[in-house]
Amino acid sequence: MSDYVIKTQDLTKLYAGDKGCREITLQVPRGVVYGFLGPNGAGKSTFVRTLLGLIRPTSGTASVLEHPISSVASRQQVGYLPELFRYPDWMTGIQLLKFHADLCKVPHTEQKARIHHLLERVGLHQRGEEKIRGYSKGMQQRIGLACALISDPALVFLDEPTSALDPIGRKEVRELISDLRAEGKTVFLNSHLLSEVENVCDHVAIINKGRLVVQGDWRELRTVQAQVEVTISDVEDEWWASLSDLVTGWKRLSSWDGKSAWLLTLSEASQIPALVSTLTSRQIDVYQVTPKQQNLEELFMYWINKKEGAEHVDNR
Amino acid sequence: MWIIAKISVKEILYKRIFIVIFLMSFAFLCFYGIGTYYAGKEMASSGMGNIQNVLANNFFATQFLGIGLYFAAFITSLLAIFSSVGSLSREIESRQIESVLCRALPRHSFVLGKLIGLGGILLLFAAFLFAGVLLINQWFGGQLRVDLDFGQLMQASGLFLLRVLILAAVSLAFSARISTLNSGIIMIMLYIISMIGGFIEQFGAVLKKQVLIDTGIVISLIFPLDSVFRKMMICLFDSADNPISFVSQGLLGSMSVPSDLMIIYACLYGLIALGIAIRSFTVRDI
Repeated sequence: MSDYVIKTQDLTKLYAGDKGCREITLQVPRGVVYGFLGPNGAGKSTFVRTLLGLIRPTSGTASVLEHPISSVASRQQVGYLPELFRYPDWMTGIQLLKFHADLCKVPHTEQKARIHHLLERVGLHQRGEEKIRGYSKGMQQRIGLACALISDPALVFLDEPTSALDPIGRKEVRELISDLRAEGKTVFLNSHLLSEVENVCDHVAIINKGRLVVQGDWRELRTVQAQVEVTISDVEDEWWASLSDLVTGWKRLSSWDGKSAWLLTLSEASQIPALVSTLTSRQIDVYQVTPKQQNLEELFMYWINKKEGAEHVDNR
Repeated sequence: MWIIAKISVKEILYKRIFIVIFLMSFAFLCFYGIGTYYAGKEMASSGMGNIQNVLANNFFATQFLGIGLYFAAFITSLLAIFSSVGSLSREIESRQIESVLCRALPRHSFVLGKLIGLGGILLLFAAFLFAGVLLINQWFGGQLRVDLDFGQLMQASGLFLLRVLILAAVSLAFSARISTLNSGIIMIMLYIISMIGGFIEQFGAVLKKQVLIDTGIVISLIFPLDSVFRKMMICLFDSADNPISFVSQGLLGSMSVPSDLMIIYACLYGLIALGIAIRSFTVRDI
């Protein structure tokens, strides 16, 4: 059994010559929550829909669960919640799940219990007998989640799974994703809501303008920049230029009573002691030094900017 | 495939339009029955049933039955077009299809499932109308009752049902490729062209103008639906080579008789349309 559930090599899907995704090469390890991030229109959904065989790649190759994406077998153990979820509104929630259970060849003896369990899991246990046309957007997204999980898939694609949910619903979905990972399933999470995926993702890939910017373990990726917040006796902005061998970037956060707080970017995290001793040796009073861990949003902006040729991280 | 067929049947039965069309068809049969009953009664009282008036009697009898079948065919055609034409494209447009096609389901199974589901329902509906019109003629026709044998009935009903399947297959072919609205417009235009072609061919036969006959045949090749209907009328009234054929069948009958080859062509037409539907749907982006 391969360690990777998804492998792509230069996978490209272009619409009208330029839109879509280009030359995406990535590997998704088994049993992780993989965040596929990018701004709106970056090509995230195009990539997922190509992996699911809904659209045909322009070039490149890909396999899902060790089967080429052109084969039906690649979708045997896959669940999918589309970004634009629409379900036949004349069905009830239970009928929809039964239909999908039939499509996935779930044994009839297991269907009732599984449907009941899933309705409970997505918070629709008392609404299963109602027609989908009476469901709110959030409820439709919940029934879509249940649909994606009906076959007990090894790999679940969730495309913006919380777009229609309230804060409580979002939290529940995050918990659900964590539960899926605990069960050994792989979750491919497509989102532009960085704060949503930050808490659940193990690996991330960032895509921008159709191209893969970076991929990997996101806790490793976020160490791309050593940043530190310092509170010192006030200095002018230009003063930091004299420490250019240590400090590659600086930004004033606030000033008060002859003190100022700065966000400094260092060449390496190991230079923090050297920074402190340098400041002290130059008669600068140091009140506070806090190494800063970057969040996913900052990481995202860093890589997007780097790809676009910016000199430093734009962490607005 | 059978799961898609089953859900297609459920969907079409659920839609109110099918119930409405079914009720309106029932109303059509009721009115047709009343008309047939009183026309038959009137003919009997006016002495049209006498041996001297046998030609006129034949004419009115076949005309009444022909009109009934013509409108039954019209209704089934419209239902076939409107129910099939969006069966793929509407689901693609609404994106409902995504959660289905991401399953381990070959796309050709989806198309075949749709055809089986829709086709099954349409065949039942067409059989209901065909049988309804014929039973009305047989039970309430009186002087208008047309003598039919079992072989004729089987042949004619087969052709009547074949029309529905051809329409469903061609509609699916368009639905797999283009939008619901455009598919619907094209199908209605094809249907009208087919009818006009049939009339041109019949006029050509009456006027003995080969150009008109050939034009009608060429139009029938574009969409052979009307030829199948006329062949069905010939089968039913068994008067293809009868010199008084036109008199007994009028414009709804057939002076210029569609050949068996044309029926084979129509069957192939439907099969090729189904092949195109499967191919188009398999290669297209959803």
